[in-house]
Amino acid sequence: MARIVQRLPSVSPGRVLAWRVGAVIAALLLTTLFLALSGRDPALLAELVVRSTVGSRFGLEDLALFMTPLVLTGAAVTVTGRIGIWNIGAEGQFYAGAIGAAGIGLFVHGPALLVLPLMTVCGVLCGMAWILVPTLARAYAGVNEIITTLLLNFVAALLTSYLAVGPWHDRVTGALASTARLPVAIPDLWGVVHWGFPLALAVVAALAATLDRTRWGYEVRISGANPEAARYAGIPVRARIVAVMLLSGALAALAGVSEVAGTVHRLQGGIANNFGYFGIVVAVLARGSCLNVLPAALLMAFILDSGIVLQTQQLTASTVLAITGLVLFMIAIGDELAHYRPVSTSRLSTNKGAAP
Amino acid sequence: MIALLTGMLATAVLAGGVLALAALGEVLAERVGVTNLGVEGLMSLGAVVAIITVAATPSPWLGLLAATAAGTAGGMVFAFAAVIMRANQVLCGLAVAFMGLGLSATIGHDYAGMPSPATFGHVAIPVLSALPVVGPAIFAQNLPVYLIYLVLPAAAHWVMFHTRHGLNMRAVGENPAAADAAGIAVTSMRFWYVTLGAGLAGAAGGYLTLTYVPVWSEGLIAGRGWIALALVIFAGYRPFAATLSGLLFGLITALSFVGQARNWPIAPAILNMLPYLGTIAFIIVPVVVWHRMRRVMAAPAALGVPYHRDIR
Repeated sequence: MARIVQRLPSVSPGRVLAWRVGAVIAALLLTTLFLALSGRDPALLAELVVRSTVGSRFGLEDLALFMTPLVLTGAAVTVTGRIGIWNIGAEGQFYAGAIGAAGIGLFVHGPALLVLPLMTVCGVLCGMAWILVPTLARAYAGVNEIITTLLLNFVAALLTSYLAVGPWHDRVTGALASTARLPVAIPDLWGVVHWGFPLALAVVAALAATLDRTRWGYEVRISGANPEAARYAGIPVRARIVAVMLLSGALAALAGVSEVAGTVHRLQGGIANNFGYFGIVVAVLARGSCLNVLPAALLMAFILDSGIVLQTQQLTASTVLAITGLVLFMIAIGDELAHYRPVSTSRLSTNKGAAP
Repeated sequence: MIALLTGMLATAVLAGGVLALAALGEVLAERVGVTNLGVEGLMSLGAVVAIITVAATPSPWLGLLAATAAGTAGGMVFAFAAVIMRANQVLCGLAVAFMGLGLSATIGHDYAGMPSPATFGHVAIPVLSALPVVGPAIFAQNLPVYLIYLVLPAAAHWVMFHTRHGLNMRAVGENPAAADAAGIAVTSMRFWYVTLGAGLAGAAGGYLTLTYVPVWSEGLIAGRGWIALALVIFAGYRPFAATLSGLLFGLITALSFVGQARNWPIAPAILNMLPYLGTIAFIIVPVVVWHRMRRVMAAPAALGVPYHRDIR
């Protein structure tokens, strides 16, 4: 049987990138096709999408606002990916961070200069606490972290809505399922864009430097690539797993802090808005590189922002989830296809002759 | 007290049935070496398709059938990527979970909040249903209960452990290269069992909206798919154990129901956390307490690894 394709053991980044761009375009084209088939005018939709994203000042502000949490949750998932672990619980750690920040913001009164750092520290600690059990279970008992981190998302969402309608409920204005507006806020920088945006970018840059340029980052990478070899070389693999997972929880929580303190200004049910899950997509797009998280988060923010247009067209917000799933699906296939290259039949026959 | 126990057990059987069905489907997929993380999305799809079907033709059996078909179709999409294209299973699974959740919310938009027009009725089995507690709870249930707790796990167990086909099937999950060398069609075995398992996940979603929560809303599945995935690990990849652990988790769910009905001094949100926390405890505690468990309950050796014939 003549094989006309050959599977390559490793692929160059350029080749993967080309396939991925193709995959994303294919997913967006398929989405457009579906929308056209369901009786919506693609040209009109495209115009609306451009106007609500890159085509207006409002749109650009929205993009930056969407990007802020995505950069952080994307970085959170990327970090664990470095050591071969999937943190599917960024959503829950996001909630935990939001709860921690809101708790300080609601009950500790003082100058913003003092309260904001305190909110951040408390939020980050809550996020780390949220991932602690899955971390220890994974590092010391080998329990699958995908399921444990994910199930805690539901607990965190329940806890958040419990606090927002229960003990922390705003009794003054009686707003539905929300706490009172926090007295302090991250100052605005440009329109509705607050300082959380540049800070998130700085955090990711610092993270990239740590992971790519330090001994610690190298040890993390080796522990992920070949745990046996890492152990043999004297790297404490378990300690690295614990540190990386806690760091991941902290990053996702930071997204929650920035959302509560900068964008929403209160704690409410569903505040995480699937940002944790979209962080997984960002991390997959970024392919394990922290700096790639930035363009990946931009693409994701663009998709989410376009989703608002879809909501004006009688589609639910969850349609975006389906579109994101499709992008992920196409990328999964594209990554695998990138491994194949066509082989001319004449070369194949000479190869066959040479093979033992 | 008797009434309380009866009610709790009856709820447990229903709630557990959903989990048991989805977990059984995942056992089939994982035994041939494929982790399908898309269960949550497939269940969601099944749930909404069941509602839409019974809105058109008021037969719960047709609804269940349509839900199974929806799950099967979704499973084929997953299996195309994960088995035929051999793409990364975690990625494809998450993608299918997202697509299923998003798609079901989109097509179910007009049905949100509408009570299911048809549900499975209760059928009392003569004599047995007169027994105290277990009578009304187990022997006066809807008919699919017997399918879920007896027929399907028994069939799966028999095929898996008492036939040559089952031996081949497990070989594909343990060592696909050896199975391939022995002449077993690895790819088609994986494709069809993953698809069948996904069909059961769809059926589980349909069973949810046709019996236990007869109304569609976004986020209705609420992590049941992920709990089912955890149950498969907890049950050591065995059909009957998966079914029984489904019932066990049904009991935990029932506990939170009873707590709310009886006004226990615990907030409903906290009670609702029980199934998730329980699941986490149940997959962590056994491996910590009993180390030998790891070998007894081990996953199929090739689980999650795509099989390429070319790589030797």
